[in-house]
Amino acid sequence: MAGRLRILLFATAREAVGESTLSWPLPRTGLTARQLLDALGKAHPKLAPVLSISRIARNGAYLTLLSTPLTSGDEIAIHPPFSGG
Amino acid sequence: MTVLVGRRPLSLERAYRHLGDASSGGVVLFVGRVRPEDQRGRPLVALDYEADVRMAVGALRRLEGECARRFGTRKVFVEHRIGRLRVGTASVIVGAAAPHRAAAFQAARFLIECLKLEAPIWKTDRYRSNRRTVAR
Repeated sequence: MAGRLRILLFATAREAVGESTLSWPLPRTGLTARQLLDALGKAHPKLAPVLSISRIARNGAYLTLLSTPLTSGDEIAIHPPFSGG
Repeated sequence: MTVLVGRRPLSLERAYRHLGDASSGGVVLFVGRVRPEDQRGRPLVALDYEADVRMAVGALRRLEGECARRFGTRKVFVEHRIGRLRVGTASVIVGAAAPHRAAAFQAARFLIECLKLEAPIWKTDRYRSNRRTVAR
């Protein structure tokens, strides 16, 4: 299961990390979306409060269950509350 | 049906052309522009817009379909601009064409209100000296 995930960061999430994309290692033991968010929050403390109010999309579709196991090559988008218009 | 998210300047004429349909008696176009002040009344110089383009287009296409079913629109148009937009610049155009004006007005209002809630698009305030991201 080892591989990498591509993380897309927008708006306040991007500002908290200082990057718009991250390449994140997927351990052999696998990773759920919840575990990924916990790891991201630990690696980037300013991101943690943003994650708690963001929607998480996997390959273009929102995740409703954070227990979803992630797969190598998945694209995970972090969407803070929208403000378009 | 037309949904666009990109960097080119918006054009009312282009939007109207997309809505062109002789069978529609009512066409409503709404233009959203960059306001000169933030929500606290502080002067802005620009807004930086960004989007998850793939997902934004998907969300807007769903709204288009909903408009047709709910209001009977013949055509709708949504274009949102991204990038740095100075005060007064058009950031979004929504339009609806329907057999009668009431449905066209309702659909255009529905489109802009739902866009704000459902499309992954963000703006960051730009001031003369600092900046702040807003979530409205």
